Amino acid sequence: MTSQRRDLDRVITAIADRKVAIDLSSVDICFLVALHMRAEGAGLTSFTEHQLEDVFAHASSLVQSEAEHIRRRATHAIQRLRDQRMLARVDGQGVVRTGEFALTRLATGIVEFFLEDDVLTRTSLHVLIASLRSAINDVLGAARAATSPAQWHDGVVGPLQVSISELVTGIERRQRGLDVQQESFQGEIGRLIEADWFGALDRCQELLESTSATLHELNEVLLRDSSELLALLQDIEELAVAAHETEAETMAHRLMDQIDRSVAWGSARQRSWSDYFQYVHRYLRDVVRLDPTRALTQRLREQMAGEGAKFALTYASAAPIRILRTVALSRELPPVTRPRATREKEPITEPTDDPQAVLAAKVRGALDAGARTLSMVTAQVTADLDAGERFVEAGRIAHTVAQLARVTAKVERPWVVVGSDMEVEEWDTRGSREDKQ
Amino acid sequence: MTATRYAELQDVVLDPSFPELDLALRRGRHIDRDDLVLYTLLTDAQDHLEALYRRYGCELIFKTDGYFYLLPTGDKLSRRQLSSGDMLVGQALALLFLDPSTIERGGRVTAEDVVAQLAVVLSGDALIRAFYTTKRRFDERVAQKAVRTKVAEGVRHLAALGFVELSEDAEIVLRAALMRFAEPVRGAGQPAAALAKLVADGEVALVRQDDTADVAPAGDAGDAGDAGDAGDAGDAQPGEPTEPDDEDW
Repeated sequence: MTSQRRDLDRVITAIADRKVAIDLSSVDICFLVALHMRAEGAGLTSFTEHQLEDVFAHASSLVQSEAEHIRRRATHAIQRLRDQRMLARVDGQGVVRTGEFALTRLATGIVEFFLEDDVLTRTSLHVLIASLRSAINDVLGAARAATSPAQWHDGVVGPLQVSISELVTGIERRQRGLDVQQESFQGEIGRLIEADWFGALDRCQELLESTSATLHELNEVLLRDSSELLALLQDIEELAVAAHETEAETMAHRLMDQIDRSVAWGSARQRSWSDYFQYVHRYLRDVVRLDPTRALTQRLREQMAGEGAKFALTYASAAPIRILRTVALSRELPPVTRPRATREKEPITEPTDDPQAVLAAKVRGALDAGARTLSMVTAQVTADLDAGERFVEAGRIAHTVAQLARVTAKVERPWVVVGSDMEVEEWDTRGSREDKQ
Repeated sequence: MTATRYAELQDVVLDPSFPELDLALRRGRHIDRDDLVLYTLLTDAQDHLEALYRRYGCELIFKTDGYFYLLPTGDKLSRRQLSSGDMLVGQALALLFLDPSTIERGGRVTAEDVVAQLAVVLSGDALIRAFYTTKRRFDERVAQKAVRTKVAEGVRHLAALGFVELSEDAEIVLRAALMRFAEPVRGAGQPAAALAKLVADGEVALVRQDDTADVAPAGDAGDAGDAGDAGDAGDAQPGEPTEPDDEDW
């Protein structure tokens, strides 16, 4: 399991343990939107309980005009939003007096999503990129002047992590907003044609062309300005590498990736919108304009249901070209035969190697060399053998000595050490048995 | 003659894309703007190619919807006609092509959409009779499965002929050539008269009523290659009521 996967699992488990859930009705969302807009309009940073109830009453009158018990419902709505961390008490006075409340970051995010004011436009992109360029230039200046880790941290890493990262994320967020807007345009074009077949032509063309123009402009700006931003970040990265400031290097690299992603987004969206544009454009021209009363669909249905004569479309159906295989003469292969050879071999006489005879020769040699005891014979005969073989051979040697020599032994036969790892009962030898005969 | 980058037919034939185009047209493929290279070659060399194919007893047809196809009018090049099942699938796809709800998806539909469209226009029993069996008693589950299989086979066959395109994510991309299925009912006049003209032109062939339900329940599906393999329908003449070529169905 990769560390990335482990991190993901840990985060998911932690969130599941906290039993996080969001349950908002459309009245709740409208209430949040009303609070957000009231705060922006009046420049409020927080709301008293009374103001919250007023805003709820206003939102409720628009959404559920016939609802009763507004005050009680407002109390419940405020509690629901507090439970779900949409509203936070900011005065810190507890039970001493009535509280003051502000929208949390979560609530603001939800409201901004539904207000759809975070859509990428040419103006917003220009402003964002100009701010980004200025901020990155400042950071580059700081990076050139930095001589200590503290200066790198305060002048480079901090701004890269916070202000510049926020700006790039702002562009990405607005891109997602534009994605949502495009999707809604696609749905709207379908609905417009469905509702007002021929009358919707102009509105559809307008939607198509405005979105195409927006995407084209955005892509142009992204392509043109991104290279400059990337070059500035590249300079910061190089300075960070030279100064061994890993954190600054990583941050600069990450921001470059983010900018690359934004550029790729622009190209991909323009391409896919271009396909969609062409399709709808053809549809409007070939289907809607040529059939202003939308009679074709009905007539086609009737034809399909079996009205009129049955027919089938004809089409060309040339057989594939037959390319004949080149004829090659097959080679005459010789029949399979076995080699003629005599398998039976004549038996031959091999000299036998009698181990007992060899041993007897060795024992005789030892005796002839003057060995007068079994231990001496054993020591001489087994001198060249391994330890394991010597023990086995000792018994055969005793047997052979008894056959070849006249041996005597005392009643109490002494044990004599032979080599370093063996003892034998000692015999004396008195010449060979052949001499006795 | 349109402005062309080909001075002579020889220049067209020497174009690297010509063999592919020629084979595609002869195998019944409809070529539209989505086949950009072949479509460009066709539009640039339209006059030369019309003359060329006329010598083979064929007409190179261009429709204002934005597609080309080859229509044999003589007996030099064999031709076939779509089976009744393919015709139904093609008409359902044409209805989806006309439906504004497909605009949102950029002209992409699923196989389920096609079956649903067929079920809306034909009743469930008619659908089973058209695609599976004319017997009164049948296992409904087996029959429905067979219908889905047949529709999928029909879609594949039509894709091979360029009426639709099958995307990698198993969606069906609707193409302009589907409007051929609506030709008899496109004009302001009577459909019967329009059909008679199409029959006279060799664009369509009339089918006997009793043939339409006579679809083999378990035939092997054909594709473009299959369509070109058997030339047994090649001797059909324009205007003759002929049996549908159900071999691919």
